[in-house]
Amino acid sequence: MEMTVNPQDLHTQTPPPGLVNLFRVEDVLNLARANSLWPLTFGLACCAIELMAGGAARFDMDRFGAGVFRPSPRQADLMIVAGTISRKMVPCIKTLYDQMPSPKYVIALGGCATGGGPFKYPGQYGILEGIDKIIPVNVYIPGCPPRPEALIAGVLELRRQIMAGETQGKMTPAVIRDSQDNRPAEYKNAISRAEFRKPAPTPSAPTAATPPPASPATPQKS
Amino acid sequence: MPLAVEKDIKSWLLEVIKPDEFTEKDIKKNGILFETLVAQDKVRQVAQEYKDQGYFLECQTAVDFAECLEVVYHFNHWNSLKRSCVKILVPKNNGQPGDGSWKAPSVSSIYKGADWYEREIAEFFGVTFTGHPNLKKLLLPETSEIFPLLKSFKGEPAGADVTQSLKLIKEDKEGFEITYPQSISQHEKDYYLNLGPQHPSTHGVLRMLLHLTGEKVLDAEPIIGYSHRHHEKMMEIQQYLACWPNMGRLDYVGAMSYNFGYALLMEKAMGLATASPRVEYIRVLTTELNRISSHLLWMGTFLLDLGAFTPFFYGFDDREKILDILEMVTGERLTYDYFRFGGLDKDIPNEMIPAIKEFIPHFKKRLKDYDALITKNIIFKHRTRQLGILTKENALSYGVTGPSLRGCGVAFDLRRHEPYSIYPELDFKIMTAGDCDVFSRYLVRMGEIEESLKIITQVIEKMPAGVTSAGKVPKNTPKGEYYTAVEAARGSFGIYLVSDGSLNPYRIKLRTPSFCNLNAIIDMLPGCFVSDTVAVLGSIDIVLPEIDR
Repeated sequence: MEMTVNPQDLHTQTPPPGLVNLFRVEDVLNLARANSLWPLTFGLACCAIELMAGGAARFDMDRFGAGVFRPSPRQADLMIVAGTISRKMVPCIKTLYDQMPSPKYVIALGGCATGGGPFKYPGQYGILEGIDKIIPVNVYIPGCPPRPEALIAGVLELRRQIMAGETQGKMTPAVIRDSQDNRPAEYKNAISRAEFRKPAPTPSAPTAATPPPASPATPQKS
Repeated sequence: MPLAVEKDIKSWLLEVIKPDEFTEKDIKKNGILFETLVAQDKVRQVAQEYKDQGYFLECQTAVDFAECLEVVYHFNHWNSLKRSCVKILVPKNNGQPGDGSWKAPSVSSIYKGADWYEREIAEFFGVTFTGHPNLKKLLLPETSEIFPLLKSFKGEPAGADVTQSLKLIKEDKEGFEITYPQSISQHEKDYYLNLGPQHPSTHGVLRMLLHLTGEKVLDAEPIIGYSHRHHEKMMEIQQYLACWPNMGRLDYVGAMSYNFGYALLMEKAMGLATASPRVEYIRVLTTELNRISSHLLWMGTFLLDLGAFTPFFYGFDDREKILDILEMVTGERLTYDYFRFGGLDKDIPNEMIPAIKEFIPHFKKRLKDYDALITKNIIFKHRTRQLGILTKENALSYGVTGPSLRGCGVAFDLRRHEPYSIYPELDFKIMTAGDCDVFSRYLVRMGEIEESLKIITQVIEKMPAGVTSAGKVPKNTPKGEYYTAVEAARGSFGIYLVSDGSLNPYRIKLRTPSFCNLNAIIDMLPGCFVSDTVAVLGSIDIVLPEIDR
């Protein structure tokens, strides 16, 4: 798979080494960043409930410094994409991401945000199969939905990445058609209404509008 | 007395309207008393008559056939079970979808709830409703040019989702700029405010366009579809068994009721009996536990919206205890797919009943805490009383169901109204409150938690032994049309299935409660302050992916 990353999409990531590198300062800053992640309050579907559970009494993400949910993207540095990304929502998510100040990190929570999840089927028309097609992702968490423990593990992994300075997110470029799904899809053709209204051959299902005597038709095999 | 009214509408239909087709149906099997096909120009008259007799529009959808489309209306009465089905035909006339040649009359001026149903049919089937005030897209993006629920739609080519989404990023940003009406210059104090789709209090991805004067709401327009996950089209290309996971992901907060609805529908359609009474008991037990956990989540988030932080933690703490119990049975915390045709996935483990017995006294103590903490809280009362008034007439016109309707004093609960499973044997009340405001809806839900607890106590006492699997079941349903509704945590969840006898559904319509409940907010918000909109929105307890499907 060839990655053609648009540099404009990634302008927020850690800059490449330049003339002056303040490695130690950067390390201290990363330590601070890693231990006070402020996630954006932002839920899309089922996973958002587990995100809430992760912030609530039993799991308490605050223990890892990631419990200060901010309602405004301008105050947040972590976007947890929790749920199915419908196509109507795509511009909004992109806008939200663009509004977050850098350095910023993205966790794709659950199957839908990772790659379409259960809503991926041949010829689907409604969803975006994975958030990494529009924004770079740091940590993917599998599950449908993932348990709050998995979310915490993801936050810990992100913490590790930040402290190691590996904050370059991954993107699956849109030119790669990895949404190609070659499974056979059983899209049906329309049946005639008159045909449908005919009495069913089995006596257990009398659906006839007008009951003409049913010819001894052969049982339908499908 | 109810029988007389039912005769009335039937004989009225037969005598006055003279329908083209009229068929008596078995309510135990098809879920309706009769179905009738009327001429297009008479459907408004029929709808008016239904409304005059006190019926509400339970569901409206369309079915695509080769030569025509059927627009299907299901009417039901809040007082007694009198569901019936009216259809009209929309001839195709060699026209194209969306070009205006497929016409049907709109009933949105009679039933307010039909407004959204018709917009949905228009965008998914390309039918133009004449007389509809605002026939723009509801769930799909404004730029969408497909009609996905038509049979001629064979899916998008691979990779299309990416290109279209990227196009949307470039083009659709204008969708968020508000086009002001002409009159704006005359009212300089008026302005428009976007609430959502990313807003902590919209419980997901709802967008509300509020028309304000000062801080007062003049007008509100919910804009939905940000969580549209094509459940209906997906189920059409799946086999019946493969549809179970969809049921867990429609309303993930109260998924067990959705399992129940689908199980009942398929059992009715297949003529299948449940394996043993134990199955019914376990179904009711898990559903009611799930109902409590759903209401607890609602309570926590609703009060969080109002600024109270403690109930959120209390509610989630108790909810986790219920989830532990349900996890023993299902292995899942949220998106259950536990029921099977005629049975269950597996029997409950031995440690479940003791765990529930331990939970009940603890939770009863907690309910007293909630009572002291919230219900008797003077700030909360002042904040929620006389707010977000939804009158009974409006509620029925929109087809509002569930606790939101019971908060208007209407005792409509499908567990009593259309008794299914073992609910007739159980002793519980239908909670109602008559003030039609936010506080009433709160009282109803808190009362329902207690009633559900009562049901659970009875069920675990009576739990019989038996097998929980129906063994080999048919893979398809006989040709026909079936409608089933169950009482989910948010209201009446109905499924309308058109089966052609093959292995997957020909058309499946999910009538989800929050869809209608949210529609009614248009009449609840005017006059509120901005800060109260979140209270009103929270009080109707919406789950967005269930609305958008």
